[in-house]
Amino acid sequence: MHEQIGEHLTWTLPIVGVVHSDTIVTTWVVMAVTLVFFAIVGKSYRSAYQTRRQAVVEGVVNYIADLSAGTLGRKGEPFVPFFIALFVFIFAMNQFGMLPFKALGLPFGGSPTADINTVVPLALIIFVMCWAVGFKHNGIRQFAHLAKPSPFLLLINIIEEVARPVTLAARLFFNIFVGELLFIVVASIVQAKVAIGFFNLSLAVTFVPFLIQFFNLFVGTVQAFVFTLLAIVYLSLAIGEDH
Amino acid sequence: MSSEALVAGLTLLSFGIIIAAVAFGSAIGDGIVASKAVEAIARQPEARPNILTFMFMGIGVLEAFPIIGLGLAFYLLLVVVKVPDMIAHLTVVAK
Repeated sequence: MHEQIGEHLTWTLPIVGVVHSDTIVTTWVVMAVTLVFFAIVGKSYRSAYQTRRQAVVEGVVNYIADLSAGTLGRKGEPFVPFFIALFVFIFAMNQFGMLPFKALGLPFGGSPTADINTVVPLALIIFVMCWAVGFKHNGIRQFAHLAKPSPFLLLINIIEEVARPVTLAARLFFNIFVGELLFIVVASIVQAKVAIGFFNLSLAVTFVPFLIQFFNLFVGTVQAFVFTLLAIVYLSLAIGEDH
Repeated sequence: MSSEALVAGLTLLSFGIIIAAVAFGSAIGDGIVASKAVEAIARQPEARPNILTFMFMGIGVLEAFPIIGLGLAFYLLLVVVKVPDMIAHLTVVAK
C-alpha cells in the first residue's frame, strides 16, 4: 500500500523554508482560471441580450450580493464584492480537485482547500477583517461584548471567540480532505483483492468513486456557501455591535 | 498475543467507536433538521426556496462535526498508528 495521506510536493525557499508547491501552484491556476472567466463574462456584459453563461453568473452573484447586503445592512455595502469573490474562489478551489492533473504527472492538482495551509489563512483573513472593521466602527467598545451577560462569562466568551476561526477553518478543511481520503480508502480496498465466497468485494467497490465524486460536488458547493455565509454573519456581528 | 497486535486491535476498536458515535449523532441531527424543514414547508409552501436554503446551510454546518471526527479517526488509524502496515507486518510474521 503506497498511498500516503497529506503527501505534497515541496519547494525549499530561502526565507520561509519548505512550502507545499502543489497547493501554491494549484491556487495560482484557480486564480487565473476564475480571473479569465470573469474577465470574459464581464467584457461581454454590455451586449444587448443575455447569454446563458451570463445568466448563471448573474444568478450566483445576485444571490450572494442580496444575502450579504441584507445581512450586513448599509454599513456593510463595501464588503459585498469581497464576499462574492470569496464564494467563487472557495467554490472553484473545492471543485478543482475533480480534475485529474496530478494523475497525469503535472506538478499541480487536487483541491488546495484539502491542505490546512490554505484554509487557516482564509479563516484568519476573515477574523482580522472582522476585528479591524469592528474597531473602525465601534472603537475599543467592540470588546465589551466579551463581558456582556455577566463578567463571569468572560472566559467562556474568549474561548468562543477563539473557537470561531478554528471551526471555520476545520469545517472547510476536513470536508474537502475527507472527500479525497475516501478515494484512498476505496483504492486500498480494491488493491487488497478482497473476496467473500463468490462475492468479489474489490470488483464491486470499483464503481463507488463515481458516487463519491457526486458527494464531493455537493459538499464542495455547500461548504463554500457555508464558509461565505458564516463570514457574513461574523462580520455583521462585528459591525452592528450596539443595536 | 504480541503488543503490536494489541495496539492494532485497540486502534481498530476505537476507530469503530468514533465512527459509530459520529454517525449516530449526525444522523439524529440531520433527521431533526430535515423533519422540521418538511413541517415548515407543509405549513408555508410558498416559503419553500428560503426554507431549503436554510436547511442545506444547517446541514452543512452540522455535517462538519461528524466529518471532523471522521478525519481525525482516519488520522489516528492511518498516520498515528499505521494500522494497515501493522496488519500486513503481523500477517507476514504469522506465516
